[in-house]
Amino acid sequence: MQQSTRPPEPKVHDITEKFTRACNALEVGQLVKDDLFTLFESIGALEIMDSKMDSGFLKPGETLEHDYDALNSILPEELVGIMDQLLCHEMAWHTGYPLSQTLFTSVYIDNLLWPEPKTLAQAQFYRGSIPDERRPGVLLEALRAYCLAVIKCCDYVIAKVTGRDYFEEEDFCTHTYNRVLFVQIPLDVFMRELDAAIENIESEPDLSEDVRSAIITRLQFRKDFLIALDPDCPLSQLESYWPPIRSNLQPIKDTQPLGKPVPSSFTTKIQRRLASTVPPRPIVEFEFKDAFEKLQQICTDCEQATNFVDLPSDPIEFQSFLWAYAGRKPAPLTYARSYLGTILFHPETLNTGMSLPLLDVKGLVYPLSPVTDQSNWALSPPRNPLMPKSPRLQLSLLVDEFIERASQPYLDFWTALGQNRCRLRRMMTHVIIGWDNLQADAGIVDEDINRVVDEMGIREQVLHDALTTWTYHKKLWMVERIVLLGFEQDIYLPDEYASMYNFLSIIASRRALVLSRISEHHAQRIASGIIDTSDPENVEYASHIESLQCEATALQDLSAAMAKLYTVLLYLRLVPVPKRPFSTEELRYELRMKPFLALQPPEVEPFAQHQALLQPFGPYERPNAAFAASMLDPKSGLWTDMEAALQNAKGRLQGMKKQGAAGAKASGAETAWKEEFKGLVESAVLFGVVIARLKGAVRKVEGSESGVAVDVKVEIPAIVVGTKCSDRWIVPTVSQKLK
Amino acid sequence: MSAIANDSDKQASSSGELQYIQYEGDKEETYLPAIRQLISKDLSEPYSIYVYRYFLYQWGDLCFMALDPLTNALIGVVVCKLETHRSGTFRGYIAMLAVQESHRGKGIATKLVCMAIDAMAARQADEIVLETEVTNTASMKLYERLGFLRSKRLHRYYLNGNTAFRLVLYLKAGTALKRPDMGDGAMGYGRYEGGDNAMFGAEAIA
Ligand SMILES: CC(C)(COP(=O)(O)OP(=O)(O)OC[C@H]1O[C@@H](n2cnc3c(N)ncnc32)[C@H](O)[C@@H]1OP(=O)(O)O)[C@@H](O)C(=O)NCCC(=O)NCCS
Repeated sequence: MQQSTRPPEPKVHDITEKFTRACNALEVGQLVKDDLFTLFESIGALEIMDSKMDSGFLKPGETLEHDYDALNSILPEELVGIMDQLLCHEMAWHTGYPLSQTLFTSVYIDNLLWPEPKTLAQAQFYRGSIPDERRPGVLLEALRAYCLAVIKCCDYVIAKVTGRDYFEEEDFCTHTYNRVLFVQIPLDVFMRELDAAIENIESEPDLSEDVRSAIITRLQFRKDFLIALDPDCPLSQLESYWPPIRSNLQPIKDTQPLGKPVPSSFTTKIQRRLASTVPPRPIVEFEFKDAFEKLQQICTDCEQATNFVDLPSDPIEFQSFLWAYAGRKPAPLTYARSYLGTILFHPETLNTGMSLPLLDVKGLVYPLSPVTDQSNWALSPPRNPLMPKSPRLQLSLLVDEFIERASQPYLDFWTALGQNRCRLRRMMTHVIIGWDNLQADAGIVDEDINRVVDEMGIREQVLHDALTTWTYHKKLWMVERIVLLGFEQDIYLPDEYASMYNFLSIIASRRALVLSRISEHHAQRIASGIIDTSDPENVEYASHIESLQCEATALQDLSAAMAKLYTVLLYLRLVPVPKRPFSTEELRYELRMKPFLALQPPEVEPFAQHQALLQPFGPYERPNAAFAASMLDPKSGLWTDMEAALQNAKGRLQGMKKQGAAGAKASGAETAWKEEFKGLVESAVLFGVVIARLKGAVRKVEGSESGVAVDVKVEIPAIVVGTKCSDRWIVPTVSQKLK
Repeated sequence: MSAIANDSDKQASSSGELQYIQYEGDKEETYLPAIRQLISKDLSEPYSIYVYRYFLYQWGDLCFMALDPLTNALIGVVVCKLETHRSGTFRGYIAMLAVQESHRGKGIATKLVCMAIDAMAARQADEIVLETEVTNTASMKLYERLGFLRSKRLHRYYLNGNTAFRLVLYLKAGTALKRPDMGDGAMGYGRYEGGDNAMFGAEAIA
């Protein structure tokens, strides 16, 4: 405990002379830097009396405070206008701008929040007592109810967003500048305010009917929205909250032109009181049209997220849903992602009979297996700890050990799937490292399981090294997505396409190999009569494995074909290749492979091997004679390999289609699954056309570097980020050359 | 000096014999106001003078300027830093680059960047990185032509809400495999400035 002592007498030292002496050692204007002065501090520094940095700086004649009087009566049309302006600011905030540049620039909002009211009754556009004739009328009271609810909405939104993983400022700004957004005040209080306002507006005599209904629609919308945002909503009822909001949206849009905005009720001057250490920043101008779109999007995305509740309790269904959700176009806003995350990580969701990672393991490598037989978990350990444990008990303990070890990497994986698209890719490059470590540990548990299984004499019933296999499969799936997201996010330059599709093909081929081991083992168990093929679990399993195999092989073949095509285009000099005086191919390869270099397996191919594969005819600028010969011969490996790979991919896509979304365990995201599938098929078809056209247009050109040319125009389409799914498959266009 | 830099030498000289010089600490009064003015033209929010000083005081020799020989006016500037990154690499960073609007498209920025890269390479940099807005075609083209690759897309990286690409150029083999050196001495050097804001190359997850 700190003793309360009298403060010591101040001692005074005169340092004037010392200081002057020390200063003599410096030139005028010479800088001195403290070791602790960081870049961060330099960025945070402000220059006083610079109007762009110093928020207290006043231009000649400018006043410190705004002079908008929030008690002045407003027109009914202005009420509608202000409500819509607030909506615009609210949506701007939802897209990532801080409150200080959006809602908190409203004088009305500011007056309600500051000075901090002790009760909701004190939260008025004024404080203390005012003469009766200044008391706000029905319209201002309605505006107050609306503002209070807007503020409470913000409170709910912040609660939900901060409850999940998000990145401050990048995803969302939760800063409230010491304003308390009625955290303690429950929902029903706001509902009462809104109800009272609706009643008053309904009975207000001097209102035209269209304006009256415009005001009521907005108040009603705010009620519904507030209810839907309430973080305490029970899971089972979530889906009922969004449809009523949707029904009010169109009327809001239709009546927006009735409103008359009051720009003077918004001012950046309030920022001076929010934070003195931040430069003044402009009010974010968000058009009503854009705001309305965002609002609609939040509602649709959240409504879509509520479907998660009804998914089968299967982690792969969850995974498919999360992947599809992250890929929605336009990308779901932070609130909607947090909303889904809250459902995913809700105890009711996670409370399945078997833990989700275990279900995942079982669904890939231990179907109908003695290792994951429920009864293994019913066995109790022997009373005497010196007695050996029964093999089945040992199995359950080993599996539990692994599942516990896997839970963090598993959680990280799901967390990554809930991030914004850019983060998703980057986070996944970290998550795979965790899975790589997990794989090493899985190997140790696998050895123990193998031993127990041998002891039990059921070797042929159990997939060898199953846990390693499962971990590896998931890791490879992630590596594939990292590369695909790289294409989608326009990370690669066209002259890297060959190399990146080639890498993708290698990874997918590894996954296909893992899957064929799994399915061979499964077939053996069927052949030896261990599995009853009509068992529903077996039917589901067989379909899923078939679907996975088709997908992995389709990816492998399609990307292999793409890699081959882009290689040809590189030889034909039809891909723009920058000069790059400071770089070498080997250094660029190292940079590209950086996220994967630590993985073992899959080990990244050494550069020499990679180069040999991608430059089968020697350097791109000077191909050997075999290139022209192969190009001119329609039966050469150059063409037939490409065509065969494409043909194979198409066949596999048909196989995927046969198993459908259910086989892929994406039944809860069927629309998205179908769309992604369609994108794949379309790319494959387009790609076939490109090969045919190119092949038909090759002509011998004596004396040219490559010895051949094509009589068509080849263009590599630019990626427009965030448009469609198939943008991961960049198929060049081939058209007639203009003569 | 590189092939490109020599190329642009010619371009530059035909457009009026610009003078390319290295910044020096005792010339702050002469150059800093002009540098600030040139850089801040393209910023939504100005940097304080300490940001400029932070770079120029420590890495003035990695700042290069293009001057009009007659008027001494500043036509272009590049500002960099070079230090051990928390990933373990000796990382160069291009913090600022700008060319007067009237002088753009003549290879001036290219030349300045080449000088900076050469200087950092001479000081044994492993890699050079920077960020640029995804819509800044001129800047992307310039860097990609020199050998930079896009390594990451950074959502809402800038204050104005715009998204950026991180561009990276490896100068040495083995850079991807470097790990933080936990041996003595390294700690103070490669200290991660956890509080760095999004600008200037620090992120929560690299
Ligand atoms: C980026 C900037 C420094 C380039 O300066 P510069 O001296 O014009 O650059 P260079 O002439 O060396 O090269 C620029 C390249 O981009 C091209 N380019 C210029 N403007 C372009 C545009 N609007 N669209 C496409 N390409 C463009 C040029 O043609 C040139 O490429 P090329 O030689 O292949 O034709 C200059 O535009 C600038 O100051 N911009 C504002 C500040 C800025 O964006 N800084 C970079 C932040 S990281």
